[in-house]
Amino acid sequence: MKTTRALVVALLSLTLVTGPAGAQGKPELTVALSSFSTEVLDPVLGGHIVKYYLSLMFDYLVGVTPDGQPSKDGGLATRWEPSPDHRRWTFYLRRGVKFHTGEEVTAEDVKFSLQRAIGKRSTTGYAGPLRTLIQDIETPAPDRVVIVTKEPTLIIPTYLSRSLSTEGMILPKKYLEANGDDVFARKPVGSGPYRFVEQVTGSHIKLTAVDSHWRIGAPKYKTVTFKLVPEETTRVALLRRGEVDIADVSRDRVAELEREGFPIHMRREEAILTMWWVLPRDGMPTKDKRVREALNLAVDRSELAQSIFAGRADPAFVPMGLSWSYRDLGFKVTPEMHYPYDPARAKSLLAEAGYGGGFSMDVYAYQLPGLPEGKAFAEAMAGYWQKIGVKIKVIPVDYPAFRKNWFDRATPGAVGYYNIANRDWIGTYALIEKMAYSKSKGSDVVNDPEIDGMLEQVPRQTDKEKFAVLMRNVYTRLRSEHYGVPVVYLHSPYAASKKLGKWTIGTVMYDFFIDELASSK
Amino acid sequence: MLRFVLARLVQSLVALAILTVVVFVLARATGDPLQLILPMSASEEDYANARQYLGLDRPYVEQYFSFVGKALTGDFGNSLRARRPVIELIRDRLPNSLKLAAFAMTVSLLMAFPLGVLAAVRKGTAIDRAAQVIAVLGQSLPTFWVAIVLIEVVAGRLQWLPAAGNERLASYVLPGFTLGWFVVAGMMRLLRSGMLEVLDSEYVKLARVKGVAEHRVVWLHALKNALIPVVTFAGIYFSILVTTAIVVETVFAWPGLGRLAYEAITSRDFPVIQAVVLTTAAIVALVNLSVDCLYAFIDPRIRYAG
Repeated sequence: MKTTRALVVALLSLTLVTGPAGAQGKPELTVALSSFSTEVLDPVLGGHIVKYYLSLMFDYLVGVTPDGQPSKDGGLATRWEPSPDHRRWTFYLRRGVKFHTGEEVTAEDVKFSLQRAIGKRSTTGYAGPLRTLIQDIETPAPDRVVIVTKEPTLIIPTYLSRSLSTEGMILPKKYLEANGDDVFARKPVGSGPYRFVEQVTGSHIKLTAVDSHWRIGAPKYKTVTFKLVPEETTRVALLRRGEVDIADVSRDRVAELEREGFPIHMRREEAILTMWWVLPRDGMPTKDKRVREALNLAVDRSELAQSIFAGRADPAFVPMGLSWSYRDLGFKVTPEMHYPYDPARAKSLLAEAGYGGGFSMDVYAYQLPGLPEGKAFAEAMAGYWQKIGVKIKVIPVDYPAFRKNWFDRATPGAVGYYNIANRDWIGTYALIEKMAYSKSKGSDVVNDPEIDGMLEQVPRQTDKEKFAVLMRNVYTRLRSEHYGVPVVYLHSPYAASKKLGKWTIGTVMYDFFIDELASSK
Repeated sequence: MLRFVLARLVQSLVALAILTVVVFVLARATGDPLQLILPMSASEEDYANARQYLGLDRPYVEQYFSFVGKALTGDFGNSLRARRPVIELIRDRLPNSLKLAAFAMTVSLLMAFPLGVLAAVRKGTAIDRAAQVIAVLGQSLPTFWVAIVLIEVVAGRLQWLPAAGNERLASYVLPGFTLGWFVVAGMMRLLRSGMLEVLDSEYVKLARVKGVAEHRVVWLHALKNALIPVVTFAGIYFSILVTTAIVVETVFAWPGLGRLAYEAITSRDFPVIQAVVLTTAAIVALVNLSVDCLYAFIDPRIRYAG
């Protein structure tokens, strides 16, 4: 009995010395995320999601404001300008910016970084298009870089900005050449407001503030730690204990956390949840535009937003309609574009198209990062379509299995979906060029010669208004031809500790602008 | 004895060799890892580049022999996801799993001992039944459910213990308890049946007749002998704890081998999957070999039969 008593006392004392850490006044900021993506620290080896932590360590060539607008105050380039033929883009670099090694950032570093980002080893989001577009990179002066393109273009500054992926992150040439890629991947060096301290794979990435940074001054938090915590219950418990300051949470947990007084920062319309049919359409019922419209009219988007997404979503009506681009492109979703919930009209359209008796359609069901409701959503969609007579087979798979079928065109007419991250006008072009341009082959879900023609003209435009007109026309045709089933815009909640203070989470994909939160300016 | 040990060693090595083929084939049967590594916007050229860079464009047979040849020298290649040598990842994670398993083992022994002894001493009573229920619950309640309830209540609401991580000793309590409780049932039953047998033996009866206090008879004389099967099985239980911690490590954000396996499986990271399976298989084989040798040492009849 003495032993048992001693054990109980030991355990109790253990709890006493390990009470909640408490966030008040602490110089650390801890962010708990459900996924780190690939967990790599080299910008050219990651996808988009690594931006969450890499954007604190590296400066971009072109900065953006938290709402995604290019900013001459936010990046290494203080200004940039195209040549009259838009084939030479000159970037003027900020002077006196230093890497964490103490070396000054020069044009040679920019050239080296861009060449590395478009090199064969790179797996970044837009390495391919940049590789195709860039002809040469010149460094006429230590503070000047000229990017020469094969075609006239408007897209270079945005592709190298913080609003897209990691291609625009600037790395130290000398450090990389002296130490090699492997050392860099373990001990990355940038010029951002935080420098790398340690990475424990599967656990955390820890960064420490530089004394002073040209953009944000002396960072308010001495350290920023990103913790990988896959289970939501655990993230919420950490938040309640004051051990983390920011955590991604699911939509259905928001009400409970708000009741407890935790501020919820909602990234409104962070993604569009859209469905499409695997090509080719030949011989498929969905070749008929009326069938595609019927499948859209059969869905009660408002009900889905409330029931499946806990009210943290809004109906969407344009396939691939990335709403963060609408303002720049001057695109408006008119009331006529709204799909009403009208199963009767849907049935009548099916009958007109010769499918009054219904037809069979496979729906792939899978979860995705940021979409824990994936399978429930697919089943709900199947329910709506069954109501208008379509015989649905729901096929539970993991996303890569569906993606392979989609790219290989192995299951024509089957339906898949994705929560496509919202993005700005040029990011939108990059996405639509992959999903709606027939020369993109596997990833295309549209195959429309008229849209192909417009998309071929877009990158050659040197006048933004002409670019916008083309993109508006692309959107309009995607909607009028019903190339897919846009369902809802998803709002993504991030819970914060009660002591965090004002935080502008921004509207740039895969970026929280933690550096803005840490800014002392 | 030496012949016996050598024979068992050869059997273990053959099992591991067969496992290399199985894990190599199964890891690739799940699909193309590039579908997960490369972004949606990746072109066919990007795929070809990545395949070449990662060595996935070589024939399977060549990949297999390269994998086995390097594995023999401790080189499991580079992780496709983390782009780091796999051996580094294993080196980072294995100690965490071993430490968690050791803590869980301690928890399970601390629970199984009193429960097993009390159940035997009070055989057929409510205490016996209660002890068995506590033990069996550990095995029958889903581990993920126990873990989530503990995190929600003990860590989140009551704020008594940490919910995640492995930096502090207190962080071991909840995952260690969740994992340890799972194996209590087996241990407790072994101990209970061992105690029942010993308590009925002549030397225990003699001790009682000689007037030795009952608690000394039970906790000193009887328990010592009833422990033999528990101790021999403890090694196997330990290897079970190391190799079955995927759920516990994931829920408690514990950076161990189980989490590494989970991450590798979900991202089709072949080299890591292969290395984790072989490492855990090697641990199991080593423990089994040790237990076999221990048995043979204790009981010579096993040696001759073997």
